[in-house]
Amino acid sequence: MQFSLKVVDKTLVATLEGELDLHKSPEFKEEITMLFNQHPEIRYLIMDVERMTFIDSSGLGVILGRFKELQTRGGKLYFVNANPRIRRILQLSGFERISSFKKSTDEVLSQVRGAK
Amino acid sequence: MTDKNWVKIEFASDTKNVAFARTALALFASQLDWTLDEIEDIKVAVSEAVSNSVIHGYELQEGVIKLEASYEEDILTISIEDFGKGITDIAQAKETGYSSIPEERMGLGFTFMHEYMDEVVVLSEIQKGTKVTMNKKVQAQEGS
Repeated sequence: MQFSLKVVDKTLVATLEGELDLHKSPEFKEEITMLFNQHPEIRYLIMDVERMTFIDSSGLGVILGRFKELQTRGGKLYFVNANPRIRRILQLSGFERISSFKKSTDEVLSQVRGAK
Repeated sequence: MTDKNWVKIEFASDTKNVAFARTALALFASQLDWTLDEIEDIKVAVSEAVSNSVIHGYELQEGVIKLEASYEEDILTISIEDFGKGITDIAQAKETGYSSIPEERMGLGFTFMHEYMDEVVVLSEIQKGTKVTMNKKVQAQEGS
């Protein structure tokens, strides 16, 4: 599992590659939490999961935790480039009700810029 | 002759071995005629059961996890067993959204196991361990 995190204005873009499970989740949680703490202006989280090949409840738990933080900031969670398999597990775990699915990071960035 | 096979693997309750377990099991399971989605379903179910053993059974401490898998004709049976602290209330543990560590987990482990496998049976004894047995039947593929 590899991931990169980038702050663009009020948006944190997380790009994930590989498998997010119990082994990698703590590191991902630590890094993403650190950025949330360093950037209180963050309102939006984009999870680019195009290259993510696997996720289970350990990984989903980390994302849910960041969603709760976004809620306290009045923000929003987005998934981009979710393949059908990843989308299915996100649906089953209820993420469709609390997030938006988009085709690209640029699409979301344009949208949230327009929301300013 | 009946088409059957089995494997037994023991490994340490190390978080690194969650990926090992699901990958090894997927390789074994692929001897049957699953779709790619079904193989992914089986990987999720195994990942959840092994993660439960590592986190809840052994509370991230050292321990042994036993994985057994077999198939006979078109039915795959998988069991994952730990010798850790056991589950106090199995019915509560199976509830969607319940987690004894709610900050870290979604409480979806058993939900995923039930969703992705045909049958899930949990046996547990306090301070002796937990055994999760799951099975799944190959569905007839189109054109086969």
